[in-house]
Amino acid sequence: MMALITRILDWIKSKFWTEEMELTLVGLQCSGKTTFVHVIASGQFSQDMIPTVGFNMRKVTKNNVTIKIWDIGGQPRFRSMWERYCRGVNAIVYMVDAADNDKIEASRNELHSLIDKPQLAGIPVLVLGNKRDLPNALDEVELIERMNLNAIQDREICCYSISCKEQENIDITLQWLISHSKSNRQSST
Amino acid sequence: MAFKRDKKEEEDGGNPYQNLEKTSVLQEARTFNDTPVNPRKCTHILSKILYMINQGEQLGTAEATETFFAMTKLFQSRDIILRRMVYLGIKELSGIAEDVIIVTSSLTKDMTGKEDTYRAAAIRALCSITDVSMLQTIERYMKQAIVDKNPGISSAALVSCLHLCKNTSATDIVKRSLNEIQEALNSDNVMVQYHALGLLFHLRKSDRLAVTKLVAKLTKSNMKSPFAVCMLIRMACKLLEEETIPRSESALFEFVESCIRHKSETVVYEAAHAIVHLSGTGARHLAPAVSVLQLFCSSAKPTLRFAAVRTLNKVAMEHPTTVTACNLDLENLISDSNRSVATLAITTLLKTGAEASIDRLMKQIATFVNEISDEFKIVVVQAIRALCSKFPRKHTVLMNFLSGMLREEGGLEYKASIADTIIAIIEENPEAKETGLAHLCEFIEDCEHTSLTVRILHLLGKEGPRTKQPSRYIRFIYNRVILEGAVVRAAAVGAMAKYAANCSMLHDSIKVLLKRCCLDVDDEVRDRATFYSQLLSSNNSQLITDYLSHPMHVSLPVLEKTCQDYVINPTKERINLNELPADTVIKNVGISQEPIKKHTVDNVKPVEASVKNVDGQKLSALLDLNVGNLFCSSDSSMLTEAETEYVVRCTKHIFNQHLVLQFEITNTLDDQILENISIALDISEGFQFINEFTCPSIKYQETGNVYVCLKFPDDSVDTIASFTAKMKFIVKDCDPITGEVQDDGYQEDYRLEDVEMTLKDQMLQVKLGNWDTLWEEAKGVCFEVQETFALPLTDGGLSDTINQIISFLGMAAANNTDNVHPPNKSSHIVNLAGMMRGNCKVLAQAKLALSDNVVNIQLTVRSMDERVAELVVSTLD
Repeated sequence: MMALITRILDWIKSKFWTEEMELTLVGLQCSGKTTFVHVIASGQFSQDMIPTVGFNMRKVTKNNVTIKIWDIGGQPRFRSMWERYCRGVNAIVYMVDAADNDKIEASRNELHSLIDKPQLAGIPVLVLGNKRDLPNALDEVELIERMNLNAIQDREICCYSISCKEQENIDITLQWLISHSKSNRQSST
Repeated sequence: MAFKRDKKEEEDGGNPYQNLEKTSVLQEARTFNDTPVNPRKCTHILSKILYMINQGEQLGTAEATETFFAMTKLFQSRDIILRRMVYLGIKELSGIAEDVIIVTSSLTKDMTGKEDTYRAAAIRALCSITDVSMLQTIERYMKQAIVDKNPGISSAALVSCLHLCKNTSATDIVKRSLNEIQEALNSDNVMVQYHALGLLFHLRKSDRLAVTKLVAKLTKSNMKSPFAVCMLIRMACKLLEEETIPRSESALFEFVESCIRHKSETVVYEAAHAIVHLSGTGARHLAPAVSVLQLFCSSAKPTLRFAAVRTLNKVAMEHPTTVTACNLDLENLISDSNRSVATLAITTLLKTGAEASIDRLMKQIATFVNEISDEFKIVVVQAIRALCSKFPRKHTVLMNFLSGMLREEGGLEYKASIADTIIAIIEENPEAKETGLAHLCEFIEDCEHTSLTVRILHLLGKEGPRTKQPSRYIRFIYNRVILEGAVVRAAAVGAMAKYAANCSMLHDSIKVLLKRCCLDVDDEVRDRATFYSQLLSSNNSQLITDYLSHPMHVSLPVLEKTCQDYVINPTKERINLNELPADTVIKNVGISQEPIKKHTVDNVKPVEASVKNVDGQKLSALLDLNVGNLFCSSDSSMLTEAETEYVVRCTKHIFNQHLVLQFEITNTLDDQILENISIALDISEGFQFINEFTCPSIKYQETGNVYVCLKFPDDSVDTIASFTAKMKFIVKDCDPITGEVQDDGYQEDYRLEDVEMTLKDQMLQVKLGNWDTLWEEAKGVCFEVQETFALPLTDGGLSDTINQIISFLGMAAANNTDNVHPPNKSSHIVNLAGMMRGNCKVLAQAKLALSDNVVNIQLTVRSMDERVAELVVSTLD
């Protein structure tokens, strides 16, 4: 009986305290965006993903926060459309394949040209260096340097090195995301 | 307060979307970007956008793209109605907006998802945004969808594939799903089977053999879906039209015939309809189809009755006897509550019925003719027209009916069809002339269509003077001068003048009337009246004949073009009317059975022929020949079989003294180039070779011209000849693909069929109104040659023989004397007129008499040139 009452109370609480946030997930193709969505939604890593043609929309609820994720395809033909989906979101998550040295430069250019768009001014950016389980993967410091993140001064920016496969650092990423939901941001400012 | 209520009432009634404005609607579409999504509001806005686009509002690319991307945000909502509206929106905007492939992934997810209500619609939307490059990505999903066990999804996939096939490169990708499509063909669902068959036919349509195989296979299997069977019948008919084996041996025809016994009405009708519309179906094969349609006539469903009677109406045009069996059922349909069914039933009966039933049927039509639309009234009029030529004796009943219809309200097209019919009856049936003219007179008393009134006035001027009592028409015509507009008045003046010229007793009274018209306010009317009264006062019979009773016979299109050329580029040379080609009348032989067709042929052909003459006129300039103006050109005739290596056609251009033969040569061999082509003619005695223009080279599928110019013999009788012809040229082999030519060629001769020169080629048809007077005038001054012949009697009776004579001589019959009326008459006189090359007028009279199985013909020819007259007579020999 008590358990039932607690559950009902919890449910009512969740109705009152549920936060909504919206974020857009971009980055070059094969960096692990759809995989990342999958991991935070279901907690499981799946090996074979097909390239995203266009976008996927997922809603994930964590700790009373409903996160709406726009996962946009990373192939060159979709990059011009990233901006449309980044407007007005709570945060932009930029995924980088930290183990693919050849693509880092292209990735850096895409990131900088994206956040230079006046429409997206002030939106917090979280750069994730994925695939840290692979050898030769860059760590946070190297990534900040290679991606030239120090040059970005006009907004909040953060960088984590994660692994979707080993589920490393997923929790701190989620924490960062939740702290940027609407109410949390309001309280912090 | 009152104001507010008014506004509300306004909104309640009428269309809520009536006054949509594009910019404001698109502005509203920004709401799609808001979070959280309000499904009801967004659905409403989406309906507005869809309504607007379907009303023809054009969206710019930027606007459409903006709206499209805003719409993609709605994928976050799980509202079913909103999602389906989004699919519709995607389909509408997919053609205009850019980067529409952005929704590919979302749609793929929906089409493979659990929600069945989404899947079919998602497939349709997906195929509308997919281009060929993206098609491969979704191919796997499409294959799965085609064989989905949900029929709605399978159908959606099949039909979407069919739409994708509009793009030829996409067709190849769709073809990879052939196995799945075949599987869908075996589906138990009627719709899926039908769609699968449609797609399958589309994919194979370019491969005749594959279609034949498919049809052969399917006709043996027993398909469940009636729609698919209908489709199969159509395909079978397409193949049947190309088949050469007789119908009774054809397996396909057997299949179509077996479908008449199908349990579905749709299939039965389709099969019957198909058999009826197949070309060359004999009465024996028609019978089962007609009996099925007969059954449908008494069906309780109006659609079936309508379909059946409409098809029977078609059959009745070609095989009236076959439909006679249904007469009883058709009689019952006359009282059908559906007016369209009743009209079709009556017109069918009119085509099949016996002479005795006409009176009764006409009475029945009269009861409801006012209730049907103009379109169906025209059907009735056309049926009456056909009846008049079939049963000439019934003209009084039919004519009365037509005049009744003329008095009713109706559009120009309807009235014109009635007037056409009456005019046709007058021309075909001399007995009907007086009544017909009287009806038309009455009609123009109250006719609101100027063009029709003018036509009828012209007809009155032409036919009226030759009736028993011409004076009775004058009142009607003069009434027009008093009451109508300028155009009609001018036409009326012209008509009156014709009476004065042709009826001496009316001469003086008409001159008085014309004098009054000389004070008209309109220039044209005054000019005409003055001209005619001067002409009539002159008492110069030659002038009156030339300008009134027998106006000029110059081909008007040619005259018009010559005058235009002169205005654009004036030369010192005057236009000489005598040098222009005469007005020709080309009459198709053997179409007298179908008066409706005949009329159009008569109207159109002369213009075409004359315009061709104009082209031919350039010929002498082109070839730099000094041969004078072109007299006429023959139709081109083939000198080779249709499917040989080289196709050669010959056109004869006739000048006063010369003949230019134009050979059009087409090379149908892709591995040869012809060079230095010439035509060797073995010309008969009397003809003189003047010049030849060879053709340098003809490549594959090109056509080149060779011209040979000859001079006619001095004696006209020698001009009937036949020349053997040979084409001489050098053949060079070439590569069919690259077109590379090998240097060494060889000389080749190619035998052609003989070129025939006949009288007809040199003769122009001249249609005369005053043949009798000219014939009398020619008696004293012209040479006359007379000869008697006998021709065997053919099935068509005298009119067949007359058509033969006309086609031999190339002359035209005056005053419709080529119509034998009644058809079973035993003797007849035909008056003919023509213009021989060199502008030599020729008149001829053929007296035909029937005895046993032979037609005796006495032909008398009068012409200024004795040799020409002899030539004409000898042609018939």
